[in-house]
Amino acid sequence: MKTTNWNRFFVICVVASVVAAAAGIQLIRIQNIEGAKQILEDSEAYQGINRMIYPERGSIYDSEGRLLAGNEVVYEVGLDLRAIQQPETVAAAASSVLGLDYATVLGYSQMTPGNGNPYFVVLDGFASKDKIDQLEVIKDDYASRSVKRGEVRPNLEGLVWTANNKRSYPEGTLASNILGFYSFRDRTDGIGYFGIEEAYDDLMAGEPKLIYSAIDPNLLTSVEEVPPGVTVQLTFNREIQAMTERKLDEALKWSGADNGTIVVYDPETGEIVAMATAPRLDPNEYWNYSEIFPNPKPYNSAISSTYEPGSVFKVITMAAALDAGVVTADTTFNDTGSITVGGATIYNWNMGGWGEVDMTGCMQHSLNVCLAWLGTELGPDRFYSYLKSFGFDRNTGIDLGGENHWPLKLPGDGLWYEVDLATNSFGQGISVTPIQMVTAIGAVANEGKMMAPHVVKAMVIDGKQYNVDPVVVGTPISAETARTLTQMLVDSLENEASSALVEGYSLAGKTGTGEIATPLGYTNSATNTSFVGWGPAEDPKFLVYIWLEKPEISIWGSEVAAPVFSDLVEDLVVLMNIPPDNVRLSLRYDGRNIAGLE
Amino acid sequence: MKKNLLQAYKQAPWRTQLQWIGIFLLVLVGIAVVAGVYLMISGRAAATGRRIQNLEAEILALEMEINDLRTRYAEASSAKSLSERAEALNMTLLDPLEAMYIEVPGYIPPSQPALAPPPAVEDISTPVLLPEFTASLWDWLRLKVFVEPSPTEGPAESAVPEELAPVPTEVAP
Repeated sequence: MKTTNWNRFFVICVVASVVAAAAGIQLIRIQNIEGAKQILEDSEAYQGINRMIYPERGSIYDSEGRLLAGNEVVYEVGLDLRAIQQPETVAAAASSVLGLDYATVLGYSQMTPGNGNPYFVVLDGFASKDKIDQLEVIKDDYASRSVKRGEVRPNLEGLVWTANNKRSYPEGTLASNILGFYSFRDRTDGIGYFGIEEAYDDLMAGEPKLIYSAIDPNLLTSVEEVPPGVTVQLTFNREIQAMTERKLDEALKWSGADNGTIVVYDPETGEIVAMATAPRLDPNEYWNYSEIFPNPKPYNSAISSTYEPGSVFKVITMAAALDAGVVTADTTFNDTGSITVGGATIYNWNMGGWGEVDMTGCMQHSLNVCLAWLGTELGPDRFYSYLKSFGFDRNTGIDLGGENHWPLKLPGDGLWYEVDLATNSFGQGISVTPIQMVTAIGAVANEGKMMAPHVVKAMVIDGKQYNVDPVVVGTPISAETARTLTQMLVDSLENEASSALVEGYSLAGKTGTGEIATPLGYTNSATNTSFVGWGPAEDPKFLVYIWLEKPEISIWGSEVAAPVFSDLVEDLVVLMNIPPDNVRLSLRYDGRNIAGLE
Repeated sequence: MKKNLLQAYKQAPWRTQLQWIGIFLLVLVGIAVVAGVYLMISGRAAATGRRIQNLEAEILALEMEINDLRTRYAEASSAKSLSERAEALNMTLLDPLEAMYIEVPGYIPPSQPALAPPPAVEDISTPVLLPEFTASLWDWLRLKVFVEPSPTEGPAESAVPEELAPVPTEVAP
């Protein structure tokens, strides 16, 4: 090669190197100019996005694993104003499918984004999947249309939808007093109200997480999982709950009562088997709350309403008297028809005297005078000490939101008078909630052991199930007292030929008729009627508590609440698979298993 | 004489220039090959990354759909709808006194259904992304060139370094 060529080659190399060096220097310079940092910071926004991920809210199941509260998919349909190409087409599709006003949607579609106008307009926050399917069909139809030259293909550009979870209660009003509701319309700040939704709100909501997702696939990292909220399994069986609610509704209709509550409880474990109250709200339409529950009507009267229970409370007084050794089942009392305590005279419900009666007779005839006498024999210290042991001075701690209790008047309080000892003994002048009564009387049905009432059977956390074990919260009376009193109440029901009896089953129970306090004093024209019963008596599997408020058909618990108990237990024993006593006992004594219903 | 000797051993200028051009082109080709390989790998990684993103979105959508279907199923089999269907079939609740109880030797009543295994059962889950998708180019080369044995030396799993080995999925007792 000639020297001239070599020189040319050399010059080209030098020029290329200089250009490359200049480009390199320019690159370095650009990266260090004043705006470079800003450009770099701005560019980070395009590398990925930070998104707040809200975990799926935990579901609620009944004891048999049937879904009571879950999540369904709904869609948020909106207009991305920057992307809209054909406002009229978008408005026509959105209005026809979503049922919106055409002119309104068209108005939104024609808005220019920015300068005070939004970039995105939400048309429907909770569109169903069916509606989205219809929009998809329209979209596909437009996309597949053949158009002639000069014609414009219709499109739905700018009409966008994203899937979201929405709380759903497939059983509607069933057990809504236990479940409560979740304000799902508030997508980011929804709260659980009442019942399980309130008591376990934090656990079921889970922990929202800010997650960074890279747009650049080269920067992709494994997406951090957001675990769902805690799933809860309840103690009650859906079929028994449905039956109990049906019985309550029938009882309200039949008796003309204002309100009612029925609690079915397992005295051995403290599990709530069913809890029916009226009225009930469909949690899928929780915005009707104030209409269905005008102030001050409680959402769940079983745990929130206090009332003077009347004679069902005699079970507690008799338990205390037997346990303290003040009387035995055979102790007799000469009922003259009245007793004076603290300057006030107490009468029986029929204003008459019953002569010589034993303690079973006192319970059978529901004698106020006899029970007031027992109260005085116990004395205020022992009597109220027993009431505290039975938990009447506090909430039961049931795992439902909204529990309430009325403060117990005690000697020494400014509000307590000597006559209260007598009236409290037969359930007047003392206010209790049904769940307090259930828990306390549950001790009588469970060998003296009082169990913590609860509705949560198990929780599923991070894919593992944690069972809730029964908890003994106290032993207010001995096992012997409990057995004696149960037998007394079995005998009293049978002697009385009560309408609460169920053929084939030994049941213990007590009626209650509580007078209602008014500003002018107590009235017996409107009463609270109650019944508490449990069975099978020698090995109780259920305890049923019934409260019907101001029935019209009769003022007496024995005529209103007792037949409801009988009617309910007839179905309950079938659903709980409890055979009649003769079958059950013969199988048990033979050491064989009970096979179940055929 | 000295100049003649030097001329005799010195390469011809055109040959030297060709060698320089050759070296330059060789370097250029080398850079192009490395760039091409890098481009190919990063292109494939990007495509795979995009696929993973799509799959993750699909998983999320499927989870939502599963929940939705579960809820719809619960609605279809709710106590109210089943009760209505039972009534339509003229079914009534059994009278307890009409019930017949029979003895079934060895019968074990069904236990209540569990929603999930108890906490004692520990399982170790496989990571979402396999090591192939998270390893750097260098790790991948090290694995393929230096660590992975030839098929005659035994199973490949045994030679996978610990940090890249798949996590076992057996459930511990």
